[in-house]
Amino acid sequence: MSANTPDTSLKDTGTAKWKQSHLVAFRIAFIFFISICIPNNLEWYKHVISIDWTRLHYRDLYDIARFGSGLNIFGNTIFGNALQGYANWIITLLVSIVGGVIWTFIDKKRKPEPAEYNLLYYWLRAIVRYRAAIGIIGFGFTKLLPVQMPYPSYGLLNTDFGDFTAQKIYWLSIGIVPWYQVFAGVVEITAGTLLFFRKTTLIGAALLFGALGDIVYVNFAYDGGVHVYSSYFVLLSAFLIVHYIPGLYALLIKEKPAQIVSYYPAFSKAWQRFGRIGIKVATIGIFLVWLFYLQWINFLYDPYKQPSSKGITQLRGYYNVTTFRVNGKDIPYSPLDTVRWQEATFENWTSLTFKVNKPAPLDLSNGGGDPQRDINRTFELTGTAGGRRVFHYYADTLENILYLQDKYKAQPDRRNIVAGAGGDGPGNGAPAESRIDIPANRKGGIYSDDWISQQAWQHIGNEVNFIDPRAATARRDREFAQAGNKFDKRNRMVLNYQTVDGKHVILKGLNEDQDSIYVVLDRADRHYLLSEGKLVAGKY
Amino acid sequence: MALLNKLVVPTEGTHNEHSVKDVLGTSRESQVFTPEWKNYEKILFRFFFIYFSLQVIPLDWKYYRDLISLDWFSLHFGNFFYLAHYTPRFFSNVPVFEDWLVTGAIAIAGAIVWGLADQRRREYNKLYYWLRVALRYRLAAALLAYGFIKFFPMQMPLPSLSNLNTHYGDIADWKVFSMSTGIVPGYESFLGLVEISAALLLLYRKTASIGAFIIIPFTGNVILSNLAYEGGEYVYGSLLASFAIFLLAYDVPRLISLTSQEKITSPPRFKPSFADDSIRNARIILKSVFVFVFVVLYAFRTYASYSEDIYQYPNSKGLAGASGIYTVTQFSINGKELPPSATDPLRWKDVVFEKWATLSIRSNSPVVPQIATTEEIFTDNDDRIYEFSGTTSRHYYTYRIDSAQHVLTLKNRNSHHAADQFTLKYERPANDQIVLSGINAQNDSLRVVLHRIDKKYLLQEAAKQGRRRGLKL
Repeated sequence: MSANTPDTSLKDTGTAKWKQSHLVAFRIAFIFFISICIPNNLEWYKHVISIDWTRLHYRDLYDIARFGSGLNIFGNTIFGNALQGYANWIITLLVSIVGGVIWTFIDKKRKPEPAEYNLLYYWLRAIVRYRAAIGIIGFGFTKLLPVQMPYPSYGLLNTDFGDFTAQKIYWLSIGIVPWYQVFAGVVEITAGTLLFFRKTTLIGAALLFGALGDIVYVNFAYDGGVHVYSSYFVLLSAFLIVHYIPGLYALLIKEKPAQIVSYYPAFSKAWQRFGRIGIKVATIGIFLVWLFYLQWINFLYDPYKQPSSKGITQLRGYYNVTTFRVNGKDIPYSPLDTVRWQEATFENWTSLTFKVNKPAPLDLSNGGGDPQRDINRTFELTGTAGGRRVFHYYADTLENILYLQDKYKAQPDRRNIVAGAGGDGPGNGAPAESRIDIPANRKGGIYSDDWISQQAWQHIGNEVNFIDPRAATARRDREFAQAGNKFDKRNRMVLNYQTVDGKHVILKGLNEDQDSIYVVLDRADRHYLLSEGKLVAGKY
Repeated sequence: MALLNKLVVPTEGTHNEHSVKDVLGTSRESQVFTPEWKNYEKILFRFFFIYFSLQVIPLDWKYYRDLISLDWFSLHFGNFFYLAHYTPRFFSNVPVFEDWLVTGAIAIAGAIVWGLADQRRREYNKLYYWLRVALRYRLAAALLAYGFIKFFPMQMPLPSLSNLNTHYGDIADWKVFSMSTGIVPGYESFLGLVEISAALLLLYRKTASIGAFIIIPFTGNVILSNLAYEGGEYVYGSLLASFAIFLLAYDVPRLISLTSQEKITSPPRFKPSFADDSIRNARIILKSVFVFVFVVLYAFRTYASYSEDIYQYPNSKGLAGASGIYTVTQFSINGKELPPSATDPLRWKDVVFEKWATLSIRSNSPVVPQIATTEEIFTDNDDRIYEFSGTTSRHYYTYRIDSAQHVLTLKNRNSHHAADQFTLKYERPANDQIVLSGINAQNDSLRVVLHRIDKKYLLQEAAKQGRRRGLKL
């Protein structure tokens, strides 16, 4: 596409006339790539305007870099088919072709007729470089400080391999080797950083092309769901590489002397020079330095796929269920019984899980996104079957009572609404939020609005303040303030717990069907063959 | 690599039309143009030449013994694999980094002697070229060897039924990696294809650097995943990466000059001379033989193995129609019935019959795991330990069927539990029921009733209908 890359002529063609075909191709490419580098949804603009720069959350910056793009004024489907999410690209391309043709006609009328677009080509490449760079850096930091793929919780460690989705298996397989995740983050961030500079653009683009090409394939193979966004970087990097192909071909394959001539505008005026340096420094400062710090805080205190509040210190680990009574009736251990718990875990954070041989609806999402409340951080249950139930608890440690809510929710909250493809923003096919009918034994009692008394709330405290002050952010405050408006109809339990040192635990209270249960848990000293987690995120 | 920089990039700044024409008018013996190498360049080259020659050329007599003793008419793909897997090993059967040190020490000594004997030499362009040829082919052979067993996905097969019914925490890291890759044979084929493509690019001088460029990050990833997952191939992987880096280094100064500094850049001046007919023919024949053996024949044999016999699993026939997972509804030992229990040390929890003659039992009886972290290719069923290596919580038994007497003779496959055996009479009162009765190695009498469960694996159910719609399991 670039006529300004001579192979053997060795003339400075920086000001030479472009071929007609190159001019047309450039006009189309210009409209296309500008379109896919500009955020296309209103939510993103709202988000950017409302950012509180004094109390930033890493996700605020991440969301700036993670936007949906492409022309969507004609919708995101072709004949009703989203083509796995790629339809938007095709629509954008079709519009670009039409635009390019119109532009060509306009140029024919212009006097003198434009003979080259070196300046525009420079700016187009600069925009694509920066777009790709901040996008991949945003992605890379969640790996560099390994939180994107967490180490499996006790519940997940005690789930059979066949009871996961392929997506979950891939995510876990990275989660168990955090140093490898760090390496993947280093690759992504290096690629992005190299794109900030002209002289290292090719190596950055080649690295990005290879790494993200692999990730596209991984997403298709494991049904990971991020195939469009990862393809996006492959497309951007391919565009950047094209510039170098004729020169490389001449030198390596034809074995002839070669030169690649790129046009660089002369920033002769002082404001231009300062403007250029200012933008560059600001971008690098925000997306490499500041984002690193925020991600570091997130890794330490608030790993985004795990709850941030610590669980009760004594209640940790894997437990055998030695006694189980429902309404006073003893049920002996059986792997086939549909009521009896077979085993239980208390996680390091505020979760109780137990296994029952009864089919349950599953959450097959990635369990990622941006939820701030612990109950919505669902990596420990998404993509997982095998009969395990996962409950979040608020603990009244003075009265020894756990107020439990099912972490499974039939209609999960929307996530990543500023992201186009892959997010739950408007127009992405996510179902509308609505009320769900609830059965009779899910009404009244522990299902009434005041199921946690005022006094108990005083003992429990306010979840929004459970976090380390360094990780307290405006985003967290806002989401907790809105939490009351959500339709949170979940299974509940209220259980009294008695234990001395956590090895032997007695739970008494009402289960989700409001039957009274009495459960004795004995901690088992599980030795896992899987290596223990290194680089553990969060403070529990 | 300052050595290479000097070697290949003509003096910059003095470039004019004249010198470009000289290069374009490629004379066959273009060494004429080549200036004398600097002293340190010559010293470094002598070292690298000996070092890499030792790494590449098999000096171990056993290698040739194995080569000669091959039956070339009934080759197994494993034979090719081992041919392509040669490295000089001084300490053990597995390559270790200390081998590099020994090789390096020999190379230093050799380079000193060579330097003393060859002081008047101006340059080593020709030797440098042939060293690169040797490395290109050596690297290509290794990549093809690994590439084809991925392309026809056998290296990491689909997890067995027993593997699917093992807790995540009861699997060693390297086995998790292997199983996780095993569930996506298409992805494995793609990785194989990348390796094969890079290898083919290495076979041609003009594309060799592109092949090397692709394989450096690829092998880098292999090394890091081996380190991360406690696999055993990182030394060999590093060796291959070192070959690729040395090959690419030849073109690096030129590539930087062209793409980063955006200067006029000339191709290398040295070109091999194949003027002599005999050399030309020999080259064509050798290249054809290499391609025939390591691409055509090896691909064919790998495919044959893939379609008939996934080498990681035994190929013995299991009890007909029995494959599946069974829950243990009754279990009595020496006449005493043991109820289901999460903690009982003796009672079985569940039993898997594989399609082949393997039966696995999940119980609380501890398993000492067996490790197999390097890539081995076995034709003997007893050696095919993949199904149980790197896991605990299940005991794996191979069994013989006496179909006349209805007796299964079970033997624990794990070498740490070799004494663990059963002789069990089997009855099949219903399609999904198996009753086993007999004795174990301690002569305890057992009676076990098994019921096959219609187990739905999320892994398979989600693959059928996608993750977007809800599932209930």
